[in-house]
Amino acid sequence: MDQLIFKGPCWVFGDNIGNDGDLMPLRFAIGRETRLEVLREYAMTGLDPELPKRIRPGDLVIGGRRFAQGNPHIQGLLGIRALGVGLLVESIQRGSLRNAVNAGVPILPFCRGVSSEATTGDVVEVDFCTGVFRNLSRGTERKYEPLPKQLLDVVRIGGWEANFRRRLAMVGN
Amino acid sequence: MTAPQTTTEKILSRAAGRLVSAGEIIEPTPDLVVVHDWYAATLASLLDKFGVDKVIAPEKVMFVTDHEPLAVTPEAAIRQKKVREYARKYGIGHFFDVGRGGHGHIFPVEMGLVRPGMYVAAYDTHVPNYGAIGALGVPFLTEIADVLAFGSVWLRVPQTVHVRLHGRLERWVTARDFAQKLIADLDPEVVDYTTVEFSGPGLATLPFDARFALCNTPLEIGAKSAIVVPDALTSEFLVSRGLSASDLPVSDPGAQFILEIEYDLGAIAPQIALPPRPDNVAPVMSASGMRVQHAFVGSCASGVMSDLRAVAVVLNGRRVHPDVRMFITPATHTILAEAAKEGLLQVFAEAGAVVTAPGCGPCAAGRIGPVAPGEVSINTGTRNDPGRLGPADAQIYLASAATVACAAVAGEIVDPREFMAGEAAA
Repeated sequence: MDQLIFKGPCWVFGDNIGNDGDLMPLRFAIGRETRLEVLREYAMTGLDPELPKRIRPGDLVIGGRRFAQGNPHIQGLLGIRALGVGLLVESIQRGSLRNAVNAGVPILPFCRGVSSEATTGDVVEVDFCTGVFRNLSRGTERKYEPLPKQLLDVVRIGGWEANFRRRLAMVGN
Repeated sequence: MTAPQTTTEKILSRAAGRLVSAGEIIEPTPDLVVVHDWYAATLASLLDKFGVDKVIAPEKVMFVTDHEPLAVTPEAAIRQKKVREYARKYGIGHFFDVGRGGHGHIFPVEMGLVRPGMYVAAYDTHVPNYGAIGALGVPFLTEIADVLAFGSVWLRVPQTVHVRLHGRLERWVTARDFAQKLIADLDPEVVDYTTVEFSGPGLATLPFDARFALCNTPLEIGAKSAIVVPDALTSEFLVSRGLSASDLPVSDPGAQFILEIEYDLGAIAPQIALPPRPDNVAPVMSASGMRVQHAFVGSCASGVMSDLRAVAVVLNGRRVHPDVRMFITPATHTILAEAAKEGLLQVFAEAGAVVTAPGCGPCAAGRIGPVAPGEVSINTGTRNDPGRLGPADAQIYLASAATVACAAVAGEIVDPREFMAGEAAA
């Protein structure tokens, strides 16, 4: 099985981060924008306007409880996909887990207590297939519940559309 | 020996073809797939884009024109035509065009198309309405395309919040009042991604059609679905339609619930959702005196016979206030016909209310009967987000059909118990 391991500095945010506003300006949801190159520039700018310029592919975003809450618009999670980062959250709202998988975001969605396991800037290593989280700056290790294989497969192939095409090729509809 | 299961786990076990429990990711096969008018044409274009020219089990698919049955723009007429063409192209088994069914969250239960124990996948957030009859309705968005092209899509089996009802509602208090109180009381983080399951002796004191209001509301705070555990009234309803009342899905003793909560219906006062969220709920009296210009009774949370009867009792011999325009949307064509037979339409007409085509009515984004900027609406719709009825700066209050009717007559929000003091309840 292909590995899905991210290693880099982490960016820690709090509870109740919203889809609209925090993760993505609402106008992109209203406009049904799905182009990653457009959404990348605005990803998470409600939390930190400079973030898209500072964050690097392979970095890790750590969120608190009820991450991606509010109207389940997918644009915020497409923005995170566009940044090329991995995501660990304490809990995620109904609909937003589907959106994360469909956007092709590597995610550990049920990491109770992870907010206190790192501070912004710590270097962490996360294996999305096994759920093992290492804070290399602190020298600590935790194990969280990984996504089941069938959802990891969707993430790995790049999200909903790529997965739809794969299913189509398999059944030959 | 198998572990005790919730109603949800039982339904999904059957749909998945194996025993499943909460938290598992499964690929259950739906017994029915429902797509509504506003998305059907987009879905068909999407399938075209991928080169999918046939759908799996079209006999189990329903297309319904209910969000905009009365096309008032050229675009809407074109969209209706496309839905018709696609229904024909794919051989859709259950196509309910303009004038044929009414609200797709209500009539399939009325006519026995949705039955206890069924797993229904739909492109619409309010499909948990089918819980009224003991079916599990689960909303999907773009992935409804997977269901049509491949027959299924993944689902995480929800945990269950169990709500047990006792007692009897006071006169002029309805199931809608209770449902609004419930979502204000529950912690959204606990309810998130659960099925809210209703049972208990209090259910038998409510009109059977009030079960739609119970199942409609929990999703507003993040529930995945809602269901009334089938009981004697469910059996009675099924038998009266010549349908089987055996093998009804009921949670086993000892089934695992994430939360169990008891309510005395007798302790519930009329409730109102204040702008801007459906769970921003307070007793009606806290908003009394607020002037209103727009009143509406309908939507998948309301617009059933028990609602229309309550409205008729209020409007009988009274007039809608000169400052108010009132819209009444019977949920389905069967309900419209029954309201005609009972003389309710005459009462509505004489009171100065407007009866609209069965379906969603103004609640579908205010395409018909919207509000003007700055106006105040009181209605039985599902949501009161800014812009739900058109302009973003209008204020929307949500309440029971009885409370809406009283406000329409008074021209301001009033507690129906005070306004109707001395009159018999519907």
